[in-house]
Amino acid sequence: MMRKLAATLFGASLLWSAGSAQADDELDRIPQMAPPPAAPATDANQKIFLQNDVIGTVRRNDLVVAFPPPQPARWEERLFGDARMDWALGRDVRFVFSDRFNLRAEDGLDFPSHEDVRNDFREGYLAWAADSATFFDIGRINLKSGVALGFNPTDFFKTRAVVEPLSADPSVLREDRLGTFMLTGQHLWEHAALTVAAAPKLTDPSAIYLNTNLPSFNPMFDRTNASTRILVKGSVGLFEDFAPELLAFSNDGHWSYGANLTRGIGQQIVAYLEWAGGSSTDLADAALTYGKMTGTIPLAAPSLLPSDTTPSFHNDLAAGFSYTTESKITFNFEYHYHQAGFSDADWTHWFGAGALHNPAADAELWYIRGYAADQLEPTAREETFLRADWTDAFIEDLEITAFVNTDLRDFSSFAQATADYYVSREWTVGALTAASFGGKRTDYGSLPGAETFLIRVSRYF
Amino acid sequence: MIALRTVLAAMMIFAASAHASAETAQEIVAKADAIRNPDKPFRTTTVLTEYRSGQPADRNILYVYSKIDPATRQFRNLARYVDPPRDAGKMVLLGSVLWFYDPATKDSVRISPQQRLTGQAAIGDVLTANLAIDYTATLIGEETIEDAGRQQRKCWHLDMKAATQTATYNHIEYWVEEGSYDPVKAKFYADSGRLLKILYYRNFLERLGGLRPTQAVIIDAVDSSLVTLVDFSDSKFQDIPDVWFQRDYLPHLNAQ
Repeated sequence: MMRKLAATLFGASLLWSAGSAQADDELDRIPQMAPPPAAPATDANQKIFLQNDVIGTVRRNDLVVAFPPPQPARWEERLFGDARMDWALGRDVRFVFSDRFNLRAEDGLDFPSHEDVRNDFREGYLAWAADSATFFDIGRINLKSGVALGFNPTDFFKTRAVVEPLSADPSVLREDRLGTFMLTGQHLWEHAALTVAAAPKLTDPSAIYLNTNLPSFNPMFDRTNASTRILVKGSVGLFEDFAPELLAFSNDGHWSYGANLTRGIGQQIVAYLEWAGGSSTDLADAALTYGKMTGTIPLAAPSLLPSDTTPSFHNDLAAGFSYTTESKITFNFEYHYHQAGFSDADWTHWFGAGALHNPAADAELWYIRGYAADQLEPTAREETFLRADWTDAFIEDLEITAFVNTDLRDFSSFAQATADYYVSREWTVGALTAASFGGKRTDYGSLPGAETFLIRVSRYF
Repeated sequence: MIALRTVLAAMMIFAASAHASAETAQEIVAKADAIRNPDKPFRTTTVLTEYRSGQPADRNILYVYSKIDPATRQFRNLARYVDPPRDAGKMVLLGSVLWFYDPATKDSVRISPQQRLTGQAAIGDVLTANLAIDYTATLIGEETIEDAGRQQRKCWHLDMKAATQTATYNHIEYWVEEGSYDPVKAKFYADSGRLLKILYYRNFLERLGGLRPTQAVIIDAVDSSLVTLVDFSDSKFQDIPDVWFQRDYLPHLNAQ
């Protein structure tokens, strides 16, 4: 009896001392002489950084459809300063300015020449808060819509807006995107919002730029204000976690419509759906029409693809979900449908016409795909998009992002992986590799760039 | 004389236990919530300093705008990154629906409650949470524990279970000082029962109309080398319109 009691007391004392030791241990870990919090060293209303990128590309040589000159550069060197400033000019008025100044050199680009110096004036607008819930903005504004990640059918102002992207990651593509000159008005309610944006036509449409004929100092309103565009969008919270956004968009009087919807599922999943539809011709016809209008393609050039010149209603859809694990990895999986994209017959004719090795025909065939890229729309009709973003991957301050786009017709793919290491609060180093996979007669397997490698260093101020 | 002292001591013990039993566990948590944060809208500068093996390793600064949602009685937070400069201007809207906004891309991305935890803004969110709303508390007993400054504090020891979908953690142990209702210590557990974090409140100073903690110490129970100090400064009451807590407002915020 006594022995049991002694054993129990000893056990209890062990438990007590273990608990006490644990408490001591945790208290020992607390920095007792912590310095007082410093005043913010940076301004939340501005972001300024300098970045240098070195890029290498491996070309694919055995193309079924020869790529017209200029060929993709084998190497590129880019140094740029990037600034975004948001100044309060008074209690209710702000001025927002966003710009990137580039110095560049690359294989195939004359040096020195004006092409070595480029400036992208992204945004510059006055913002007025008429009251706490009513806002008016005027100037060059980057107005983004949509809830999906890999393809945004309702992002109506995206067309032609991205200049010289350094990454194919859709979330990075938007970082160097030109705004559109417009006037916007917005009123917010607690559970609703209404936005109207009007963008006037300032100039005529221009030919699609090549890497070798980009202007040095030019706001390039021809990319963003070559037609009169109006967007009306509104959202309302109808009931808990159901707040659809509806959009109506006019491009020179041609109306399109869209909808965005998100919904949380449990603690780890967000599902989303983005749809847009409107009357248009298919990709091949739209590209040829634009090419002829801007003088890139001869007016008499025949269509090499069986394009439908009669406009009909086309749907675009991006549907998917994000899923975040306890180990800080967020996956996005999406299905993309672009009804105006290439059909089976379009691909057959595209490769068939290209196999004849007629330089004029090759130029026209690649122009169609270049037009799709310039519009930030897929060439493929159906694709999947899988992206993973891992914060603190393997070690703290290392972020790894990877994505793969797969054409569901031929299962060719484009994949990219990026690693960024935050060396300090000012310095970041990163590396990127991208590759396209597939047979010679597939969407991604027919691209002129087989692999790309990039290393970069960024200094933030 | 000894007998009198004994009687007095017994009366004090009786009084203390009578006081504790008069107060429900939920009321204790609610009063500690009122010490941690006021019920009026406010903004604060939150500085998160990470210590690795006792050495400062990383720092994040956020402006946090907080306001109670009258429908849920829970805080909604709008957190804007100030530092490091690579994240300056990014925002996380932490309300009934969570959004991440980057002014560089003008892109709003809806995030899940789990994804919220991958960023530092979540710490500020957890620290403003009204625990009495999200958790059901049970009084385990009274305990004298050491606070972060190794001072003895006589506390109520509470066990709290998540009562809503918005609760960040499944289970919390909580120590609240008797009499003052000062929050002293908390332990946060995962669904699996694994201890994730230990939190101490310290540096109680006059802030936002009351004597409130101005620093939280978060000891990572998974990564034994990591301790995060969370300092609250430059706190002030501010009129925050309800429209701030919806996605379409985010591009309009110019943080001062």
